[in-house]
Amino acid sequence: MVKYNKLTMILIILSVAIVAIVAVDGYRPLPKDLILRFHPYVGNQPLVLHHQSYKNPGGSGDFSITDFQLFISNITVKYSTSSISELNSYHLIRFDGGTSFDQILIPKIKIKDIETLSLGIGVDPKANGTIMFTGDLDPNSRMAWNWQVGYKFLLLEGKLTIEDKQIPLVYHIGFDESYAVLNFDITDEKISNDGVINFKIDLLRLFQKTSITGKSLAKTPLKQKINYIDMSEISQVKFAPDDVKKIAYGFHHFINIVNIVNIVN
Amino acid sequence: MKSAKVVGVLIPIFIASTIYYINNKKPATHLVEFTAPFVFGRFTVPQNNPLTQESVLLGRRLFYDPLLSSNNQVSCATCHKQPLAFTDGLKTSVGVSGKPLAFNSMSLVNLMWGPKHFFWNGRSPSLEDQAIQPIEHLDEMSRNIEDLLVDLNNDDTYRDLFKRAFGEVSAQGIAKALANFQRMLISSNSRYDQYIRGELTLSSIEEQGRKLFMAHPDTKVILRGGNCIDCHSQFLTGGFSTMFDGFSNNGLDDDQALQAGLFTLTNNEAHRGLFKAPTLRNIAVTAPYMHDGRFTTLEDVLAHYNGGIKRSKTLSPLIIEADNIPKTQKNHISLNLNDDEIIAIIAFLHTLTDKEFLTNPAFSNPFTEENNNG
Repeated sequence: MVKYNKLTMILIILSVAIVAIVAVDGYRPLPKDLILRFHPYVGNQPLVLHHQSYKNPGGSGDFSITDFQLFISNITVKYSTSSISELNSYHLIRFDGGTSFDQILIPKIKIKDIETLSLGIGVDPKANGTIMFTGDLDPNSRMAWNWQVGYKFLLLEGKLTIEDKQIPLVYHIGFDESYAVLNFDITDEKISNDGVINFKIDLLRLFQKTSITGKSLAKTPLKQKINYIDMSEISQVKFAPDDVKKIAYGFHHFINIVNIVNIVN
Repeated sequence: MKSAKVVGVLIPIFIASTIYYINNKKPATHLVEFTAPFVFGRFTVPQNNPLTQESVLLGRRLFYDPLLSSNNQVSCATCHKQPLAFTDGLKTSVGVSGKPLAFNSMSLVNLMWGPKHFFWNGRSPSLEDQAIQPIEHLDEMSRNIEDLLVDLNNDDTYRDLFKRAFGEVSAQGIAKALANFQRMLISSNSRYDQYIRGELTLSSIEEQGRKLFMAHPDTKVILRGGNCIDCHSQFLTGGFSTMFDGFSNNGLDDDQALQAGLFTLTNNEAHRGLFKAPTLRNIAVTAPYMHDGRFTTLEDVLAHYNGGIKRSKTLSPLIIEADNIPKTQKNHISLNLNDDEIIAIIAFLHTLTDKEFLTNPAFSNPFTEENNNG
């Protein structure tokens, strides 16, 4: 029988322990960048600024969009027993940068086993009431009204053409009451291999009526009819609370996670 | 014998390395200390052009020196005069060629903030680039840079200033020094700044003007507004800094007369007729107005927004839609401000005049100072 002295035993145990630690560590998923990629659409058509026209969803005529920007804020990812909230989480998303999408990168986090992701549309009341330069919040920017009013959460500008008449479209949606928090259920299948979650932003859903009356153009996956506002009837929304409410209602419905294969870039 | 050989090899190496060290030694420079209001926000300085006292000192001298022009009669200060907030009072500037240039002289103020695209059409991506372009432009200063470098090298004062700032005279050094002097042109002590800091209250008419300035009109909630804030930010009062948000078509021309503007840079038809929204700081002393100096007075400017707007394919929807009475004449675009409101907005614009900035000796002509000192 082979006899081991004490030193040999210690060395063997240490070696086994080191191998075990390295092996376990090797199986632990490495932190990766999580990318939230936003693709703007008008119904089922990709949004093309300036040059593309779309049907007025609730009335006659066609509209085009010259500018579209919105704030996404307070991003949090939750796991079964923990969560990560991004610091200074105020992102201006816009679609005039030469690509068909805009994206937010959350660096070096565990992207497996995320159960839910939440984000805010707009700026939370606390930040909306300050003139701090945090994240993309800038009181000297186009998205700032002034220090007494706060920020535009969403800016949508363009024009509606009905026969030979052109109506300017101006939707500047803000106010604390409009701030909306969206929660998304996440499974590993919703995150691509390169760490991307794809979101579709459907502008038409901003014009979704809260009542059941009105012209119906589209159907949800549940075959539920959506009624739309006639853009010629509400062609500009800035400070009138009732109108702001009508457009901000869409904040709860206009962003959805989509499978990458359904996105045409 | 052997040691003499070694010394004979070592001495030339020592001399060569000493010369190399002296020639390549970076000058000991000192960073500028300055203050700016918190509400101006973030700013960046290029990593390859630190804001040093030595570069600013050199830049100030270059800015005022007609040596930079081919006829030795035109300096940067010819078109950018301090009492006029670094504009020249002309419709469009005139350089060495004597021909009127294409654009009105832009005020040089608070350039570290706002759009990072310089000139009215945004054609320049940095202050360094913006500084060097007029020197070589045939109608502006028409100076051959190589000849200028020779002249600067022959001048003891310049040779010393360049040595302290950058080590040697160079074209890059000229651009960097001019850019850094212009970065220091900070205006932050107007009555409006003092109001923001809580040091004074505005008069009732100025306050009415401020509120109108800050509001986009909305007849649905009876909110009257001058619509200025849609292009001029609330604190800096200039164009917005993100991407091309600081450029707009404000209805000066119809489609037939629409000028290229930002299209010059982007080649995007949607940008035709868009020009940089200038800072409104010291606007009361920077007449005439607009990129081509077409308006002589602030009253003319307000009259433009109050009924003089011309339609074109890239006219901002914000301008078409902004109206203080419910739209009745669909084709006529006007803010429909009343006379009192126009007077109030102009009164507010006068609160943006910063007398301390307009007379600050640190920004003045150093040659005058030298002559006065004998």
